[in-house]
Amino acid sequence: MSDNPILSVRDVRKTYGGVEVLKGVSFDLERGQSKIVIGPSGTGKSTLLRCINLLSPPDSGNVVLDGVTVEERGINQIRAQIGFVFQEFNLFTHLRVLDNVRLAQRNVLGRSKQEATRRAMEELERVGLSDKLEAYPAELSGGQKQRASIARALAMDPKLILFDEPTSALDPELTGEVVQVMKDLANAGMTMLVVSHEMGFARAAADEVIFMEGGVIVEQGPPSTLFTCPEHARTSQFLRMISHEHQEA
Amino acid sequence: MLEFIEFGKTWMPFLLEGVGVTLGLWVVAMVLGFCLALLLVWGRVYAAKPIYLFATAYVEVFRGTPMLVQLFFIYLGLPEIGIVLAPFTAAAVAIGLNTAAYQAEYFRGAIQSLPAGQMVAARAMGMSRFQALRDIILPQAGRRVIPQWSNEAIVELKYTSIAYAIGLTELTARAEQVGYQTFQFLEAFTLVAIIYLVLTGIVAQSLDFLERKTRIPGLTYTGGKME
Repeated sequence: MSDNPILSVRDVRKTYGGVEVLKGVSFDLERGQSKIVIGPSGTGKSTLLRCINLLSPPDSGNVVLDGVTVEERGINQIRAQIGFVFQEFNLFTHLRVLDNVRLAQRNVLGRSKQEATRRAMEELERVGLSDKLEAYPAELSGGQKQRASIARALAMDPKLILFDEPTSALDPELTGEVVQVMKDLANAGMTMLVVSHEMGFARAAADEVIFMEGGVIVEQGPPSTLFTCPEHARTSQFLRMISHEHQEA
Repeated sequence: MLEFIEFGKTWMPFLLEGVGVTLGLWVVAMVLGFCLALLLVWGRVYAAKPIYLFATAYVEVFRGTPMLVQLFFIYLGLPEIGIVLAPFTAAAVAIGLNTAAYQAEYFRGAIQSLPAGQMVAARAMGMSRFQALRDIILPQAGRRVIPQWSNEAIVELKYTSIAYAIGLTELTARAEQVGYQTFQFLEAFTLVAIIYLVLTGIVAQSLDFLERKTRIPGLTYTGGKME
């Protein structure tokens, strides 16, 4: 670990309706690093992402982004530096693709229309949607929607992007195009924290894999190590289970 | 039939003068109701508990009592505590306060029909709640509410006729006057019904046009392109 991680999560705890979903989670994310978080459902992975940008504020522990503690005060400036890609895309329904990517650049970052348009076009081209600028979200396929929402996050020039199961709402034949975009991003040096079971992405682009279960990090390590000889029995059990699922699918 | 047309020619100008009062009353009441409804819906959906309770009580009181009672309360009751309003003002206030409760409920329904993810995505990008409301929630809910709002606008246009009860010479009052002058009540009220029908028809068609013009796929209708 370096002395200067872009994101540092320390002992984050979160209880929902009497159930402790996160029981003290700590990890660091270095600049340009991509980590993937895997683990059984209901184990607090998505909650962890939402704790990082205070969409659901942690009960205790702290999150430091690039040396600045993430807290309610000034949260909007901090959120603007953290991209978030949702399972359900959450593109703004009433805005065309170009405006989806422009809006927060304008009203949060205060960019001029010209500048916002320029950045939007760059990122939409990167995700292969240059021909869909005028389309409404409802006129896109699931894969296109997710690529548009990635472009929307990228155009804000975030310090890192959080991905919350970005391919789980997609038909299997559409996951490939989204995973490809994510791989390209990781290889281009984007800092990413990804909650997903996309083993393709994990193997090809993740620097580290975090295995979470029951609200704690069970183990973490490079994919080569964690996938081939995990330390914990629970990790290998889980990996066997999802590889079976993938073979069946 | 010919007789009715003659009757219409004679009395239409007199009745049309009442249309001005009716429409004026309606516009003032709808605008007042709209502004008040925005405050109420904020109270009902976003505000802290005390304001929520006040807004909820307001809606229940104004939906739960007859508009005529509300009108008499304002026009005949308030003077007892020193608040004296002219008939037009009293009617506009009564109808405005009443429609505010209904409009607020339609707005609330439209806002709550939006997926929660829209607000979450806006906040996650760093928008303030105000920005998210202004740029995401209002444009979406505004489009969705048009059909119900249109319904409310039509209902209120007809309800302006209760101002007759406090002596305002609007459209219905004039029809009654025509009836007493000619003793042709059937013709007089047929004529006035036609006028109301034309007015409500114009309102309905205009708002339907607006709804179609501002329609967005996936927001106000689902499925493919609709012509």
